[in-house]
Amino acid sequence: MRSKVITWSVLAVLVLGVVPLFVSDTFVLRILTEAIMWIGLAITFDVLAGYTGYLNFGHGAFFGIGAYTTAIMMVRANWPFTTALLAAALVTAICALVAGIPTLRLRGAYFAIATWALSLAIQQLALILTITGGPDGMRLPPFLDPVYFFYLMLGVVSATFFLLWYLLERAPFGLKLKAIREDELGAQSLGLNPTRLKIQAFVLSAIPTGILGGIYAYWITFIDPASTLSDLVSDQALVMVVFGGMGTLIGPVIGALLIFSFKTIFWAYLSNFQLLYLIILGAVIALSVVFLPNGLWGTIRNRKNRRGGPKKNQESLSRDAEADKKSETKSALAAELKACTQKDGVK
Amino acid sequence: MMATPLLELKSVTKTFGGLTANNQVSFKVQPGEIVGLIGPNGAGKTTLFNVISGYYAPSHGQILFKGKDISGKPPYELAALGIGRTFQVVKPFPGLSVLENVLIASFLRYPKRAQAEEHAWHILEITGLADRAEVSAAGLTLAGRKRLEIGKALALEPSFLLLDEVVAGLNPTEVDLTIELILKVRDQGVTILIVEHIMRVIMQICDRLAVLNYGEKIAEGTPAEISSNPAVIKAYLGETAA
Ligand SMILES: Nc1ncnc2c1ncn2[C@@H]1O[C@H](COP(=O)(O)OP(=O)(O)OP(=O)(O)O)[C@@H](O)[C@H]1O
Ligand SMILES: [Mg+2]
Repeated sequence: MRSKVITWSVLAVLVLGVVPLFVSDTFVLRILTEAIMWIGLAITFDVLAGYTGYLNFGHGAFFGIGAYTTAIMMVRANWPFTTALLAAALVTAICALVAGIPTLRLRGAYFAIATWALSLAIQQLALILTITGGPDGMRLPPFLDPVYFFYLMLGVVSATFFLLWYLLERAPFGLKLKAIREDELGAQSLGLNPTRLKIQAFVLSAIPTGILGGIYAYWITFIDPASTLSDLVSDQALVMVVFGGMGTLIGPVIGALLIFSFKTIFWAYLSNFQLLYLIILGAVIALSVVFLPNGLWGTIRNRKNRRGGPKKNQESLSRDAEADKKSETKSALAAELKACTQKDGVK
Repeated sequence: MMATPLLELKSVTKTFGGLTANNQVSFKVQPGEIVGLIGPNGAGKTTLFNVISGYYAPSHGQILFKGKDISGKPPYELAALGIGRTFQVVKPFPGLSVLENVLIASFLRYPKRAQAEEHAWHILEITGLADRAEVSAAGLTLAGRKRLEIGKALALEPSFLLLDEVVAGLNPTEVDLTIELILKVRDQGVTILIVEHIMRVIMQICDRLAVLNYGEKIAEGTPAEISSNPAVIKAYLGETAA
């Protein structure tokens, strides 16, 4: 099943790769490019959310930092795009490191709040600084080649997907992260340093996100705090990942495709789009948490694996109860000692 | 017994606010021994395990491992130094398979996946879990989860193993199997400190015992000495019965 995923992914990339040969409609290319970008944002969000169990509401900030770094280097320092993009990757990595060291010590909900607050702070910063252009944003040198951006986005996102697949599903790294997600304290006794692993995951999730932000900036040629640094980027990535299935990499791809298609169609047919869309996003996340706790892909996968599964579970449960019962009548001496010691009510 | 002790506690104290869970506990464990740590519920045995394995820093005192001060070092560093432990409240990674559980521990000594997997299978054979390798750890029976707990600690290839109530709750056959496993591990050169309430087990496998009561060590000696020690009998039977 694992190698099947790789086969299907390679096929999907190849099929997408020939699309520009047959489709010259800029609108279609644009939609596809953006869909691919959202796949990238969803799978990078999943690194932290799905594999370590931390919800990063600063994910959008990494995207924005990448976008702004690219814009600033290109506009203010006249760097060429590729060098500016490398700078974006580097700056995002450093920001992740600096933000991760204090916040990843926090548990679950506190981490979510801290990253959300940090991303708001960064948005405010972009609004007041002159180097970022303040609320007016920045205009980048236009480079209007939809095919170039399509291939760039496809290349970066598929490279990211295969890298993450290797690291998280093949290499020891992914299992170590899962161990931390399942039991952070217990994992420590097995030689795992949770803080270090979480920071590695955080940086791994941030770098491609920053690169995507940089590509987005150059592609759209205009960025401002509202478009690249608002909560919406993190929120959408979250919905895609939760709806598709956390901790699977495949689920987020499916989630991104479905949510993005939905958004695109919705955009075309409804006028007061913004507000309704947010309400629907909220509803999707609430419903999938309640009815699809493993997301679409998680549910499908469990169905496939289930054949005869639940019966077995029942069996082991009843055997468990039996073992517990037996344990009560174990060694006579122990029972005696327990009885003596239990009268003072400890435990 | 002139060699440096594998583990030496020097007047180790651990307090939680006003509660003194371990009070100036000192003892040594020599290489190759099985030492039992016993005492009534709440005596501070698990707390002492947590201090030795790095989950709590001692409030006072020192812990020496192979002659080096390890007080306050984090659990993952101690695991690398050769200290393996099990948890009284077992800690399987419930969402992962039994094999993956052991595999994660195997990475410490075998960073490459292929070797780690080979090692993990070997551990599963030893602990009798091989036929349940692909089962989710949450689906194991109590006995299975306790075995997995031992398996994960063993996968670290520790030189010193802390076992916290790995026998309690098992049926007699499973008890015998676990005793057999512990003795086999000892024969391979692993030194063991074990907490257990089941006296039959303690008497059968331990070379020496240390007894805790209200956080203090009240006795130390061979199983025979301990079972006839008046202070120990009093601690177990309570003030009124003594
Ligand atoms: N994290 C903690 N915070 C506060 N008190 C604690 C903590 N851990 C243990 N204690 C207290 O320390 C004392 C010793 O507990 P400990 O679990 O070490 O006993 P034990 O000897 O392992 O008992 P048992 O045989 O029941 O497992 C108890 O009074 C317990 O309530
Ligand atoms: Mg205990």
